[in-house]
Amino acid sequence: MGVLKKMRAVFHDDWCRECQNVMEETGRKLYMLPMTVGHYQSHREADYYKKNLRPVSRKAEIPAGVYACGIRCYRCPECGHRMTKLSIFLPVREEEKTEDMICFDQGEMDNFIW
Amino acid sequence: METKKVKKIHAGYLLAYIFVPALVTACCFLLSYLFFQTGNMAVALLMGPSVLSVVWWVAGGRAIYKMKKKKLARTLDESGFIRNHTFYSDGCMIVVDAVHGSIALLFFWNPFQSYVLPAGRIEKLWVDDGRGGKGFMEGSSRVSFLLVVDGVKIRVNTFTSNKRWRMDSDYILTGISKADMMVNVLKDAKAKGN
Repeated sequence: MGVLKKMRAVFHDDWCRECQNVMEETGRKLYMLPMTVGHYQSHREADYYKKNLRPVSRKAEIPAGVYACGIRCYRCPECGHRMTKLSIFLPVREEEKTEDMICFDQGEMDNFIW
Repeated sequence: METKKVKKIHAGYLLAYIFVPALVTACCFLLSYLFFQTGNMAVALLMGPSVLSVVWWVAGGRAIYKMKKKKLARTLDESGFIRNHTFYSDGCMIVVDAVHGSIALLFFWNPFQSYVLPAGRIEKLWVDDGRGGKGFMEGSSRVSFLLVVDGVKIRVNTFTSNKRWRMDSDYILTGISKADMMVNVLKDAKAKGN
């Protein structure tokens, strides 16, 4: 059961990687990423996002052709483990084209979010 | 700044592009028929121009266009034109100077003439997402942005395909996003260029 649960947790970003419990969402923020359509480059380092993300209050504030980054913060109610999920997408009118999904669960983004 | 009216196609270049290789090939065929019906010379006269013509039709125009695109970029830099945005399409290259409110245009079928003009001369700007079909057949095979300059409609494709894609497919969304971005950039340049 433990192995099965761990395998299922791979496909659930909001499951705790320590105890496989469903984590609760503690915050959600929207940012603009200074990259335009056709020039997207994937970055895995938290420092890049800390340096380049610009906060916006609504999706409509992001100019056409510029990437957005939605940040969701999770906390496990059982073990207290925290995780930050970055979802990078291109807002296109009413649609969203998902480009990348990055999870930081070692607290790399904590000093940026909080 | 260019005061001449924008011309997308140079008729002379287009006709020469198509017919000059065909004429040269026909002349070689005639020479072969009249003087060299057999032998190495006949092979050279029959095969050489035919192969070269096909190569020219496939790659000649693209090579000229590529060379002219590079030359235009160099010329613009030398003249103080700030290349804020450059969009390369299959039939047209458009460069926007958002600081001075001007645009530069180069067309595939008129590569020997480039146009640098104030963005204020743009009369109309819009995005065509190419949406067609109904229900589950709804989709698009081409996304483009269009501008009317001096009464001439210029279509710049941001996405083309030989099949129809759903409107929420990544290809179509990327094409729409590029087109929306370019239209906004051109609108800003137009506001400055007026």
